[in-house]
Amino acid sequence: MMLEVKNLVKEFGGLVANGDISFALRQGEILGLIGPNGAGKSTLFNCIAGYYKPTGGEILFEGKDITGWSPHQVTREGIARTFQGIKIMPNLTVEENVMIGAFCRTGDRQVAQKEARGILDLMGLTGEAEAFPTGLPIAAQKRIELARAIATKPRLLMLDEMAAGLNPLETKEIIQILQKIKEEKKLTLFLTEHVMEFIMTVSERVIVMAAGKKITEGPPVEVARQEKVIEAYLGERYAKGR
Amino acid sequence: MVRLRQLLIDIFSFRDRPRFERIGFLIFILIVLIFPWMVTSAYGRAVMIKFLLFALFGLGWNLIGGYGGQVDLGQAKNVGFGAYATALMIVWWKVPFWITVIPGIVIAAAESFVVAYPMFRLKGHYFAIATLCVALVWKELFIFWDWTGGARGVELPIRSGVDFVYMQFNSPIYYHYFILFLFLMQFFFVNWFRKSKLGYEVQAVRDNEDAAASLGINVYRTKVINYTIAGGLGALGGSFMAVYYLYIDPDAVMPLDLSILIAMTVMVGGAGSIWGPIIGAAILIPLDMYLGAWLGAQKRLGIDFMIYAMIMMVIAAKEPKGIWGIIERVRKKRTR
Repeated sequence: MMLEVKNLVKEFGGLVANGDISFALRQGEILGLIGPNGAGKSTLFNCIAGYYKPTGGEILFEGKDITGWSPHQVTREGIARTFQGIKIMPNLTVEENVMIGAFCRTGDRQVAQKEARGILDLMGLTGEAEAFPTGLPIAAQKRIELARAIATKPRLLMLDEMAAGLNPLETKEIIQILQKIKEEKKLTLFLTEHVMEFIMTVSERVIVMAAGKKITEGPPVEVARQEKVIEAYLGERYAKGR
Repeated sequence: MVRLRQLLIDIFSFRDRPRFERIGFLIFILIVLIFPWMVTSAYGRAVMIKFLLFALFGLGWNLIGGYGGQVDLGQAKNVGFGAYATALMIVWWKVPFWITVIPGIVIAAAESFVVAYPMFRLKGHYFAIATLCVALVWKELFIFWDWTGGARGVELPIRSGVDFVYMQFNSPIYYHYFILFLFLMQFFFVNWFRKSKLGYEVQAVRDNEDAAASLGINVYRTKVINYTIAGGLGALGGSFMAVYYLYIDPDAVMPLDLSILIAMTVMVGGAGSIWGPIIGAAILIPLDMYLGAWLGAQKRLGIDFMIYAMIMMVIAAKEPKGIWGIIERVRKKRTR
C-alpha cells in the first residue's frame, strides 16, 4: 500500500473536522476525494501533509508511520502537495520557484536548474522561466505549483483543488498534463476537487466525505448514483423527491 | 577540481545579472579604488571609510533582513562582539588583528545561534522587538561588567607608523584600502550566498513559509542558520571599528542607533538585492555626515534628523523595495 489512513481524527476545539476516517491508496492509483464545502477534505489533506497534527489515528506511507511529522519531513519522505489558494514565491522567478523544489533532493545549483528546466518544459512553461509568477494568469500559476511539487521527486502527489478558478479549456489542459506526468514520473495521485467533471474523468476511485465523515467510496460512476451522496450535496428533500 | 572551479565562479561571477549592473559595479570599484588619490581632505576620506563600513554592515544585515525577510533591529550587538573581541585580545594578550577577527565572528555567530532558537518562535514585528531587546541587554551588560572596561570602554595601545600586525596606520589611505578589502570579502561571500542552496531556501521562506515547508525546507532551521551567519558577518565590521577608532565603549559600538542605521541603510537602498546596501550607504552616510555638519554649523541642530526621518517614511510608504526597486521598475518599463 502506498498510503494507509487508519481511524484518523482531527478536532478543532469541540468541532470534529475529521471523524474516524480510514482508507488506503494503492501504488499508481488516482484517488479522488469529494464532498460539499466544509466536509473536511482540506483538513484531511493537511493532516497527511503534516500541516495539522491529527488528534488520533495513524497515517502510514509505504508502511512507515508518518503521523504527526512536520511538512518538510513528509515532503522529503516522498509526498508532495499543492495548495488550494495559490502559495507561490512572488519575488523569485518561475524557474527559481521550481528550483527550490529541486533543491529538496540536491545541493547543487546546476543540477537543480537543469531539473527545473526539464520540468518547466514538460509543463509548457519554458517561455515563462524568467518571468515573475505574480504577473502570470491563474492557470500558469497553478502549473508552477504543480511543477514545483514534482521537482521534489515525490512518489505520492496530493493536489488540493487543482481546477478551482480555471475555465473548462484550462481544466482540460491541466488534466492532460497530469496524465502525462503521472505516466512519466510513475506517480500516485490523490486529489480533492469541487469541479465534479474534473474528478469524475480523472479518478479511478473516489472517496466521498460529508460533515467530517467518510460516507462512501468506489468507482466514480457508481458513487455518483448513490442516494447518500446526492443527499450530502443537494439535501435530503431533493434526494427523496426525485 | 571541477567543484573548486564552480565555487570560484559562484563567488566572483555576476553573469546572472544584467549587463548594466555589471558595468555599474565596475565603475563603482574604479571610483573607490582611486578615491583616496582624488579626494585629499581628511573629512572626505573619513566619509568614504564610513560609507564602506556601513555598506559592509548592510551586506551582512541583508542576509537576514533582505534575503531572509526577518527585520532584525539588533545587529549592533554583533558589531559590539567583534569590536570587543579585537580590542580586548589586543589589550590583554597582544594578539595580532587578523587572529582576533576569527573569535569575534565565532562569538557573534554562537550567540546569534543560541538566541535565535527562542526568538524565531516569534514572527514579524514581535521578532523585530525581540532582536532589539536582546541587543539592548547586551549593551547594558557590557556597561555593567568590569572586565569589558565598563562604561569607560577600552583604549587600544597606539602604535606608530604603519603596522600591519595590529592594522594601525598613520594615514587614512591605508584604512581606506583595509576597509575596502573587508568590504569586498563580504561582498563576494554574499554573492556566493545568494546563489547557494541556502540562499534560495532563505528567500523561499521569506516569500511563503507554507510553500517552503511543502518543498522540504525546514523553515525554523533555515531561519536560525541564516540569523547565525548574518550575526557572524556583523562582527567583521566591529573588529575594523576597534582598530580604526582606537577607542571603543558600549555607546560607540553597540547602541540602538547603530542597529537602526544598519537596517535603514539596506531598506533605503533595497532589501534583498546585492546592490541595495551599497546604494543605501552611499546616500545615507554622506547625507548624515555632510548635512549634519553643515546644519550643525548653522545652529540648526536636529533638522538633519527630520530630513533623515522623512526619507525613511517616504521609502517605507511608497517603495518598500527601496531605491533599487525604483531603478528596476524604470528599467522594466523601458525594455517593454
